Amino acid sequence: MPDVTPSPPSEPHVLDQPWRMWSSLAVFGVLLSGILLGVLVIPIVQGRSVGIDAYTAICRALGILPGSPAQPQPATPLPGMPVSQVAWTSDLLQILARADVRRGHAKVQEVCVACHGERGDSIGVEFPHLAGQSGAAIYKQLFDYRTGSRAHPMMTDVAKALDEAAIADVAAYYAGQPQRNPNPVTLAEAPPSIVQLVELGDPKRNIAPCASCHRAGAGGPIETPVLAEQRAEYIEQQLKLYASGERRNDVYARMRTIAAQLTDDEIRGLAFYYRAGFR
Amino acid sequence: MRNAERLCLAHFWVAFAAFLFACAIGTWQMWVRSPLGANVGTPGQYFMSVTAHGVSMAYVLTTFFIMGFGYFVAVTALDRALPGKLWAWAAYWVALLGVVLTVIPIATGQASVLFTFYPPLTASVWFYIGLVLVVAASWIWCVLMLIAMTEWKRENPGRPVPLAMFATVANAVMWLWTTVGVAVELIFQVIPAALGLVQTIDVGLARTLFSWTLHAIVYFWLIPAYIAFYTMAPRAAGGRLYSDTMGRLTFILFLIYSLPVGMHHLLMDPEHGNATKFIQVLLTAFVAVPTLLTIFTITASMEIAGRLRGGRGTFGWIAALPWERPMVLATGLSFVMLGFGGFGGIVNMGYGMNAMVHNTSWVTAHFHLIFGGSVVIMYFAIAYAIWPRLTGREYQSRAPLRLQLWLWFLGMMIMTLPWHWLGLQGQWRRVANFNYADPIIAAWGPWVIVSFAGGIILLASAVLFVGNLAALHRGPALGIVRPLYALAVHPPLRVPAALNGFGLWNVLVLVLMIAAYGYPIAQFLIDPSPGAIVHRVR
Repeated sequence: MPDVTPSPPSEPHVLDQPWRMWSSLAVFGVLLSGILLGVLVIPIVQGRSVGIDAYTAICRALGILPGSPAQPQPATPLPGMPVSQVAWTSDLLQILARADVRRGHAKVQEVCVACHGERGDSIGVEFPHLAGQSGAAIYKQLFDYRTGSRAHPMMTDVAKALDEAAIADVAAYYAGQPQRNPNPVTLAEAPPSIVQLVELGDPKRNIAPCASCHRAGAGGPIETPVLAEQRAEYIEQQLKLYASGERRNDVYARMRTIAAQLTDDEIRGLAFYYRAGFR
Repeated sequence: MRNAERLCLAHFWVAFAAFLFACAIGTWQMWVRSPLGANVGTPGQYFMSVTAHGVSMAYVLTTFFIMGFGYFVAVTALDRALPGKLWAWAAYWVALLGVVLTVIPIATGQASVLFTFYPPLTASVWFYIGLVLVVAASWIWCVLMLIAMTEWKRENPGRPVPLAMFATVANAVMWLWTTVGVAVELIFQVIPAALGLVQTIDVGLARTLFSWTLHAIVYFWLIPAYIAFYTMAPRAAGGRLYSDTMGRLTFILFLIYSLPVGMHHLLMDPEHGNATKFIQVLLTAFVAVPTLLTIFTITASMEIAGRLRGGRGTFGWIAALPWERPMVLATGLSFVMLGFGGFGGIVNMGYGMNAMVHNTSWVTAHFHLIFGGSVVIMYFAIAYAIWPRLTGREYQSRAPLRLQLWLWFLGMMIMTLPWHWLGLQGQWRRVANFNYADPIIAAWGPWVIVSFAGGIILLASAVLFVGNLAALHRGPALGIVRPLYALAVHPPLRVPAALNGFGLWNVLVLVLMIAAYGYPIAQFLIDPSPGAIVHRVR
């Protein structure tokens, strides 16, 4: 074993300087070639092949302009219109959280009771039950009627007469009413093909399982309505409106995409499945 | 070094207790994901269990093991007392308090956000405060490692810092850089959200800050394995380290290139431009360099040992190696897993291939193989190598040690290779259960069961490992203390300052980090995006 106790180095700088210089040059060289390729060469070449000018391509590569340097954006002469004006901001959630059930009850007795009932039991097949419905779902639909995102001969005028706080109050009131079960049927009565649609969907037709959103605790968006115990006639009517595109206030066209793929029998089957309130 | 031994053992036993617990619940998770355990447990229990598994393995096992090992290296490689022993004990107790604070909300279901947090999911604030305490304690460890090296250099002017200590300090310096990202994310974004001070959180910024930490943290876990490769394995094999300089370069390259590369975890994220992703992927490619240097150097070192033991021919030296010694065996098995895991990592690094494996089981399998396999098996080897010194006792037989290492290797291969395959089939990750009634998912079933069998073998190995260490506490007294660290073929008499300290490399890391993360982080402040509404886990 050699002696490992050396004398102090005589010329440390002579030994050190080349290391400092060459290692820095190597690291900078790698970095600069990365910047050169990633920021200039690749975006310019990619952009040229699809007709994007060099400046735009570089800005897109850096993330300063939206879009990819390798794909042209479709020209949109008209600005995009959202299908709904409701945005689930923290301010809106505060409004919903501060809703007053008593004021909501008063408004219901004044306006809604004629069709939807005081407790949310509707008086006719064309009117949806609202008892135990999600407050966020009721809020969104009323707000959409108010802004014209959804249209209805009666509801449009009713909703326009309500301000934002009143909408939240009504939503909170109906959400607090217990659900009802007018015509219970057992799961066994639903045909397997319908249960399959609810539980597994139909990937071949791009139909997601209904239960992936329409179930407590499922991962659907906040405005997902509760379907259990809803009137079958109402569900059927709404699915058909989605399928024809007459109703279009569903964000990302989720329901329009699904409903357009369903047959009339399936629509009826699903409506009956949910009327019973299995979930 | 009686005190130092107690300090090291205290750290190691917390690490290995967490490890054993995490192995047990990990096996449970493999079971409930398989057709055998379908419909067992609720999704809530599953995600609670995954959170506990991830936190135990990624934060408790690693941090406590690395701190304990660092103290051991500082005392043995520098051959001097540990500076600031009181601080070291204080850090230990703070970290332990942090673990307790973290465990309680996990156990009560208020922190099922997984160990990588996923804002806008928000857990009980104590979960984050506990983890911050663990990190803060590890910062004390970093400072103590720096002080130990600085004092040694003052006492030994001009002499090269022993490689084991140089590497430990490289890891400490890297860890200080690494933890800045997650610390900023927790302190300025997640904890205010958990406290209810803010209602929204900028998820893009949070993910970017976490990516700063996310890749380098893996190298923080990995460097002890590399320290064992360079400084312990050649000695255990009866040879010498082929090149001390190569070792220094390896640890320096880890310091430089593990940090400005985290965005390859965000390749599918929309918040960054292609150019930034390209630059970071290019730098990621350079992370492969220190691993390739290591494979070359350690293979060369092993060849020296094999030939000294009479091995002949192109491959005869491999058979001549003393495979009955745990450190040698573990190094060999680790290299095999590093080969498969490294290949998988290169797939993850490429933008196109990553798009295919993104969010599939491939990724989970990859990090289990590379960390749980090639790194943790070296944790075992290190523990086996230093336990006699820490306890002053001798193994009666090394057979249970070898059996344990083989079980771990086999279990890990049996568990992770089918898991990779399932990822390629499209099996998604981060889900609580699979509906095996679906014909496509049913076809995955047999492979999930094979994977689960691997998990059972791993659990058996983990129990044996802890048993082996516990048994040594009652073993016969240690006769001779054998030297632990390998000499280089040409022991360095003098090295350039650049290879004996970290001043230059810190400047280069700063430059690279500004280039890689400057604009990507600044963009969130220049043009803030709409925040996501905080979602509290209850």
